[in-house]
Amino acid sequence: MARKSASIALNERLSPYQKLYLLLIAGFILGPFIPLIIQSFAFRWAWPDLLPGTWWLEQRERAVLPLAWDYVISPYSQVWEATLNTVFIGCVVTVICLFICLPAARVLARESFKGKPAFEFFLSMPLIVPEAAIGIALLMIFINIGLAGTYTGIIIVHLIPTIPYMIRMLTAVYQGLGRDFEEQAMILGASRWQILRMVTMPMLLPGIVAGALFTFLVSTNIFLLTFFMGQGKIVTLPTLLFSKISGGTLDASAAGITLVVTVPGIILLLITERFIKEEAFGKGFGN
Amino acid sequence: MRKTMLSLSVIGSLMTGVAFAQDADAFRDGFIAGDISWEEVQARAMEEGEVNLYYWGGSDQINIWMDRFAVPALAEEGVTLNPVRITGTKDAVDLVLAELGSGRGLGEGSVDAIWVNGENFATLMRQGAVMGAFADKLPNSVNFEWNPEDPRSLLNLRDFGVETNASEIPWSGQQYVCAVNTDRVASDDVPSTFAEMRAYLEANPGKFTYVKPPHFIGNTFVQAAVYAHNPDGTGAEPFQSSLDELGAEELARLIAPGMEYLREIEPLLLGGDSGNARYPEDPNALNGLFLNGEIDFSCQFGLYGVATGLRDGTYPEGAEQFIFPEGNMIKNKNYLVIPANAPNPAAAMVMANYMASVDSQATKLEIAGMPPGVDPWRLSDEDAARLDAASPGLVGVTQAELDANTAPDTNATLVDVIEATWLEYIERDSEESISSIVATAVANLN
Repeated sequence: MARKSASIALNERLSPYQKLYLLLIAGFILGPFIPLIIQSFAFRWAWPDLLPGTWWLEQRERAVLPLAWDYVISPYSQVWEATLNTVFIGCVVTVICLFICLPAARVLARESFKGKPAFEFFLSMPLIVPEAAIGIALLMIFINIGLAGTYTGIIIVHLIPTIPYMIRMLTAVYQGLGRDFEEQAMILGASRWQILRMVTMPMLLPGIVAGALFTFLVSTNIFLLTFFMGQGKIVTLPTLLFSKISGGTLDASAAGITLVVTVPGIILLLITERFIKEEAFGKGFGN
Repeated sequence: MRKTMLSLSVIGSLMTGVAFAQDADAFRDGFIAGDISWEEVQARAMEEGEVNLYYWGGSDQINIWMDRFAVPALAEEGVTLNPVRITGTKDAVDLVLAELGSGRGLGEGSVDAIWVNGENFATLMRQGAVMGAFADKLPNSVNFEWNPEDPRSLLNLRDFGVETNASEIPWSGQQYVCAVNTDRVASDDVPSTFAEMRAYLEANPGKFTYVKPPHFIGNTFVQAAVYAHNPDGTGAEPFQSSLDELGAEELARLIAPGMEYLREIEPLLLGGDSGNARYPEDPNALNGLFLNGEIDFSCQFGLYGVATGLRDGTYPEGAEQFIFPEGNMIKNKNYLVIPANAPNPAAAMVMANYMASVDSQATKLEIAGMPPGVDPWRLSDEDAARLDAASPGLVGVTQAELDANTAPDTNATLVDVIEATWLEYIERDSEESISSIVATAVANLN
């Protein structure tokens, strides 16, 4: 109900130009999905046909092998395996990342120590150094210590590009928090655990959720490092997609897999939408 | 205390690792010497429990065949087949070499077998990274001609001219076949020689291109052009010798007219009118151009490519095969190689034996359209008939026509040089003469 009235209000508030602008933005975001969806249902779609000349459903009965969505949902496509791997790795990376970054962010936001600017710069190094350079060097080391081709190996390398993001977001949130509330609770006799549980955490939550969401999305999108460390044995959605479309053509099953790849991010966004207040993102990116 | 326990257990696991590796070495030597029976291999394979096959995973059909047929068949042998899909065979070769480089020997690596041929196999051989002569000792080796006296054994004994020493077993035999879109090209206009192709392109500029070297499908097109323009008129014959035997100067003389031709037709290829000819990177991209009618002809390995392409919608409805270039349609085989550091050598051999069986060859032919690698004259009539029945069929040509126009592959040592020459002379439009380009390429190799 609230949403509906809000949308009416929005409708009245916007000028026609603003509406057009919104429509264009929506077109840019959703537009690329349209040919993808059509392609995923096509059997043969050749230039210059505006729509597929033959649809997958027309050929479905005659097909010797599963085509299009039949292939995507069949175990042969490895989509299910890749999705599970992606979500599993993403979750573990997010949790570990939080445990590393929460205390670090607290210190970075509140304390000042010698060499802090240099340390902060050092923290963002992984964002500057190309992934390929890190990947190849690490692969050599990981092969030696037997971590190549294991989940542990992939999770460790995923921490490299995610920690800088997480630390930056959490530091920003901590800076906005101030010590006053915690001090007040302390004056009122709360223990440190109580303060953490009942004061700090609830106030940090939007920032933590935003950071976790971001970390998860970054982790699920890492291709190169996963490809190196997984050695093809551990399939995630990005590596699966790459092997499917690296040829430069998009057939029906590739289009289907591409659509599936976008699903975890969308679901996550829907789930977390209610947790996130605008300012969490705003602060996270501001700083 | 805890520390000593830990270091003890580390030492312990290292020692079992070493013991296992020695054990694997002994097993390999015993099998190659013929001291180990097939039953023992099977028993050991069951103990090892799994086998990691690395193969190019860009084809849905092959992936489905692997999961639907190969995995269950090996499960019956007590071996779990892990088909690892890779985008480039070179990745698996690099992985093997990297692991060997860090001291991981037999029983300690991660790749049990790779689907290879040509340069990738030559690289493994050069680096001493193959397990050894297993291929002619499997029970299903009887399906192949190993007798060097018989000229038909050539493709089993040599892979792009490099002696295989039975380190790899043939998996599939392919021929380079071109397809034409008959909805766009009248049957009288279909070229059968390179000269006719040029005439067609002069009348219809931009309607053809080929896969870009160094992709092997592109290399093969270049080789066919080089054969056809051989100044001595001896076709593929001199290209069977290695680089050392032939010499750089002689090679340059032999390939010059072919390279000249490829440079001359470049403005007539797809996008050539704007001075920037487009060469697709791989067969899937080529298929896309062919399907969209951007090109009228599409050349690649695939005896049954048109039949399966029509079946799954990746080829236009009017696609047919045709004989081009006359007498120079390159034929080769591709293989399964077991690397020197295979973690499960016995399971790898059980897997290779299954892949060499008539049963697997027939289902693979039917499902994935991959021509058999076994030699039909070595099979019983019944088995040979079974393979015939499984074939998805040729479209527009007959087997006899294909057989009459066969040419062998180029020696692997020459492939690198021809490839480098193409890249320099065609791709980078080098002003240098072909002989100096070849000389530089040869020097760079060593």
